[in-house]
Amino acid sequence: MRILLAEDDAMLGDGLRAGLRQLGFQVDWVRDGAAAEREIASGDYAAAVLDLGLPVKDGIDVLQSLRARKIATPVLVLTARDAVPDRIRGLDLGADDYVIKPVDLHELGARLRSLARRAHGQLQDVLRCGAVSLDASARQVTLHGEVVLLSTREFDLLYALMLSAGRVMSREQLEQKLYSWGYEVDSNAIEVHIHHLRRKLQPDLIQTVRGIGYTVARSKDPA
Amino acid sequence: MKASRRLKSLQSRLLVPLLALLTAVWLATVLLTWFDVQHELDELLDGHLAQAAALLVMQQAGESDHDGVEDSPSLHKYAPRVMFQVFHEGRLVLRSANAGATPMSSHGLGFATERLDGKLWRVFATRGAESDVQVYVGELNESRDAILMAVLQGVMWPLAFALPLLALVGWWTVQKGLAPLRQLSQLLGQRRPQALEPLQIDRLPSEMEPVVQALNALFDRIEHMVAAERRFTADAAHELRTPIAAIRAQAQVAMGAGDDLAQREHALQATLAGCDRATRLVEQLLTLARLEEAPVSSLTSVDLSTLVRRVAADLAPTALARQQSIELDATKPCAVLGAEMLVAVMVRNLIDNAIRYSPDQARIWVSVQNESGQTVLRVQDSGPGMTEAELARLGERFFRVLGTEQTGNGLGWSIVTRIAAVLNAAIEVKRSEMLGGLAVTVRWPISAQA
Repeated sequence: MRILLAEDDAMLGDGLRAGLRQLGFQVDWVRDGAAAEREIASGDYAAAVLDLGLPVKDGIDVLQSLRARKIATPVLVLTARDAVPDRIRGLDLGADDYVIKPVDLHELGARLRSLARRAHGQLQDVLRCGAVSLDASARQVTLHGEVVLLSTREFDLLYALMLSAGRVMSREQLEQKLYSWGYEVDSNAIEVHIHHLRRKLQPDLIQTVRGIGYTVARSKDPA
Repeated sequence: MKASRRLKSLQSRLLVPLLALLTAVWLATVLLTWFDVQHELDELLDGHLAQAAALLVMQQAGESDHDGVEDSPSLHKYAPRVMFQVFHEGRLVLRSANAGATPMSSHGLGFATERLDGKLWRVFATRGAESDVQVYVGELNESRDAILMAVLQGVMWPLAFALPLLALVGWWTVQKGLAPLRQLSQLLGQRRPQALEPLQIDRLPSEMEPVVQALNALFDRIEHMVAAERRFTADAAHELRTPIAAIRAQAQVAMGAGDDLAQREHALQATLAGCDRATRLVEQLLTLARLEEAPVSSLTSVDLSTLVRRVAADLAPTALARQQSIELDATKPCAVLGAEMLVAVMVRNLIDNAIRYSPDQARIWVSVQNESGQTVLRVQDSGPGMTEAELARLGERFFRVLGTEQTGNGLGWSIVTRIAAVLNAAIEVKRSEMLGGLAVTVRWPISAQA
């Protein structure tokens, strides 16, 4: 899952990026408000972590203009401004979550997963499709209850497809959701990962829509 | 305790002298009336006695050959209060019904006060034209006192009623007049310490207006102070939270690094750096708090040149590590009045800021000069300087120029200005004409030099 981190403090930003990466997130880090707004608006992120005291453009202003532009990317505000009026203002202006520094990395990860899940209309952290189920917090996939070992990319790809179950995702969309900045993506990388997923799980789990992309069917059984 | 407080009350201060004065006036009126009436009464009634005696003498002259004693009848209810005797050649010839047989007075002629049958009588004795007739006329003293008392009562009663009435009205008026004061004390008593809105009192007497105005002004000042403190606490919490959040995140990264030794090493280094940063912040907060608590200790003569050379030498390695050149022009001794510790903290903060906020390879120029009697310290750099808006916000605690890579906390400048104020030195920030960055000038007035 690809996350945008907007934090101007070098030491904290470095720590959060490293920590969220350890938890399996793809993290891009920007240090000012204008860059944060530009990147979130690009729409490639499952969620964003936004500090409020950002240079160039304050986090609150970023939030406000994003929501004014109808950009619905979930935003988790991570700030030291703990006063209740600040929290209320942040949430009212469109923050999906408001977390006070310092924060536990695992909790931050769980909150980000929860935001991404809700943005896709999913109720639980465990996604199901037929006999396949995906536990996002444990980063574990099972087939008929048996654990299947997947690579990081394979897991992320399956997670992205299952989060958007029922919708067709283009190869470019999937690439943007999978790779943070600075990674060279082979032109057929997505095809290779899809191939592996079909082989390891079920051949008919991921369907190809010719000329458009890939999709996973929405689960029939109630989640 | 309670009694003394009562004496101190406005109520008793007003009522006690007022009532005491009234009582004194009343007493004086009574006494004056008493003496006056008594005097007039004595004169009038003595005159009547003498007149009555004269009448008896005249009458007796016409009936001098009368034999035996004649008792005159009692004709009025007041008759027993007066009596008379007429003696002819030592023999009682005429008397009132209540008079005795012996002469009323043994004091000879004129007025006398005699005790007869246990009562005091005013007696007038006189002699006829032929001295063989002696006339005594007496009047009961009690009746005089009765008249006196009747007159005095006429004066006393209204006053006796008026006095408690006055006290009551005075008490009530004062009570009513002091109601706003009681309302004020009640309002103040019920106030929570945090409540700082202005006092609202109905029908405030003009005498109390300055008090309430002064109180409201005080509340206003306290409110500003509290707001500043609250802002400071919030800012301090904010500034402390970020390094702590960084330490926590880095520590968790180190824990989760697993076999990635390079990542663990990096995270642990960052954790330590975060601790140093938090320590520095706490130290600066404490410095600032101490400066605000105990502003001026004893000021002594400090050689600014030596001190600047020492501080610059301390900080030079930091500058050199970033390939910055730090140049010093402080050759001549320049004594200023100050406390060495304070001046050193100020100089350190100024040079440290220049190093911190200037890019690598920047130039930093520090000079100590004597300009027309004033000692002037200048710290200039070739860094990015500050915009007008940033200059305006400089000195707000925790304000720092955002977007710099440096981990400053914005307290340094607050400390510098505070110390300058303590040392009575003027401080000026502007664009450096020499290097293009920031130029900070600290100027000691002639009077503040040692």
